[in-house]
Amino acid sequence: MRHLPYILKHLRRNWVRTGSTVLAMSVCIFLFCTLQTFVRAVTWNLQSASATRLVTRHAVSLVFNMPIAYKERIAAVPGVVRVAKVNWFGGTRRPNDFTEFFPNFAVEAEPYLEIHPEFIVPEDQKKAFLADQRGCLVGRRTIDRFGWKIGGTFQLESFIPPYRVGKPFDFMIDGIFDTDLARYPGTDTSMMFFHYKYLYEMTNQRVGVGTYVVEIGDPHQATAVGRAIDALFENSDAQTKTETEAAFRAGFVSLAGNLAFLLNSIALAVTFTILLVTANTMSMAVRERRTEIAVLKTVGFPSGLVMGLILGESAALGALGGGSGLLFGWGLIRMLPSLPFIGEAVRGFPELGLSPAIGGLGFALALGLGLGAGLIPALLAYRARITDMLRQA
Amino acid sequence: MANVVDVQGVRKVYNRDSLEIVVLDGITLLVPEGEFVALMGPSGSGKTTLLNLIAGIDRPTSGRVTVAGTDVARLSESALARWRSRTVGFIFQFYNLIPVLTALENVQLPLLLAPLSRKERRERALTALRIVGLEDRSAHYPRQLSGGQEQRVAIARAIVADPKVLVADEPTGDLDARSAEEILTLMETLNRDFKKTIVMVTHDPRAAQRAHAQKHLDKGVLTA
Repeated sequence: MRHLPYILKHLRRNWVRTGSTVLAMSVCIFLFCTLQTFVRAVTWNLQSASATRLVTRHAVSLVFNMPIAYKERIAAVPGVVRVAKVNWFGGTRRPNDFTEFFPNFAVEAEPYLEIHPEFIVPEDQKKAFLADQRGCLVGRRTIDRFGWKIGGTFQLESFIPPYRVGKPFDFMIDGIFDTDLARYPGTDTSMMFFHYKYLYEMTNQRVGVGTYVVEIGDPHQATAVGRAIDALFENSDAQTKTETEAAFRAGFVSLAGNLAFLLNSIALAVTFTILLVTANTMSMAVRERRTEIAVLKTVGFPSGLVMGLILGESAALGALGGGSGLLFGWGLIRMLPSLPFIGEAVRGFPELGLSPAIGGLGFALALGLGLGAGLIPALLAYRARITDMLRQA
Repeated sequence: MANVVDVQGVRKVYNRDSLEIVVLDGITLLVPEGEFVALMGPSGSGKTTLLNLIAGIDRPTSGRVTVAGTDVARLSESALARWRSRTVGFIFQFYNLIPVLTALENVQLPLLLAPLSRKERRERALTALRIVGLEDRSAHYPRQLSGGQEQRVAIARAIVADPKVLVADEPTGDLDARSAEEILTLMETLNRDFKKTIVMVTHDPRAAQRAHAQKHLDKGVLTA
């Protein structure tokens, strides 16, 4: 600690150089943290995928529905415990206005809730929901977001053509579901569920099924059961594709995953460039101070301590860059949902915020960059002979 | 009086590419405790190399350098650094103060290695600055001081750890006549009143006359 003022004073020696290096590192850490937060938000609910759940969908695309009659045939496949119909409704509170969007699904309520124990609903509320065709269950995040209460009503209108019936769907909030994130990490409580039957009736019994969620008894049989289900419909008009819930969700985020890979590659290149920039800064700083290093050694500073002072200086650069980068990132991530265009894209992501883990990783990266950049100049100073440094001065 | 500096048969050879350059060739020098010795000689005669050997910042190729009872060549790098911090104060021609530190902080540098509290370090550094007559400039940065004042701060840094030996490499070489005179008077005071043994390299015959003894080097050999 007694050497800290010495280190900090050296950082102030050349404000422009120190400032620009800190800024460069700050941009790097900002980019890293923002990107990692985005990737985490996109892939967050992959964690909640259960190994005992399969998803069956139309083999061509999710855009196409499957016949309702498939349910009984799927349920009869050995190894299948339960099956529930699920349709993504895509409803918004005002037509085509996604500013207040939250995910909403028409589900076959009873089996669906049994298959998904992570959605925790008080028994009385569950009963009320099952008994009410216009009822719905809303997750805690959405309840808190809009200040809704049980017994409250709202309307949704879908942007998907088969579900557009010329008027909005009316819903009553019969229950609120929570989750236990310790037991079920990645569970999204911003969703809303209503009865598939209501959707079916409102569309004059014209809709099929978007996906079937299939509960199986033995996770090790997932591939075999999936193949057996798909084999049932191999010669039909609507062939199916059955995969594990994790694979299904991963497919959903694969586009974002590719984007993340691309952005991660860019971030890696930026990080490497910043490493070179900072190393250059430290090399210049040490080269300029050859005489001072010689003086320190002459008055008795051991080579190890001189090396430590240079590493301390580069770590301080890293800490300053990391700290300001984190602050930047934190501020921008908080602002993202309120920005035009981008805000609409990210608002649906649960858990969008700079997590302590990503923040800590970003700061550690900054410190690592600082130390990495200072290592070679510090080693050179460690090995340099006093007489050589004084002669070269 | 015991010899605080005892140089016996020292040879120093540098290898540059395939060339072997003999800088010191069999030097023997004794400096008694409390002595003020001037080393003189033309450029390239080996004065600074000999001074560096006495200060423990270089090692002889052969021969023995004993300073304050320690055979310098036998110490490891870290032990040598510790020894330098306690035994030798070095005064450079170009002062070599650290520009981002104040005069007080520059003088405190060697004390950062000693087990002293912040207050003790400050008090000792102020005492050293008082000895060189610059206590009132303790908060000034080197750029705010004249050349003579900078050299006096450098001398305060050299004496702050109370070393037995002061080595000075042309301490007046970068100063005007008046400042040089002040520095030499200060060194005389340190020698006379504080009993510091001083070995000074100089080109200036007037500076050399202030020393008690003069030694002449030529082509790596002591001639007188």
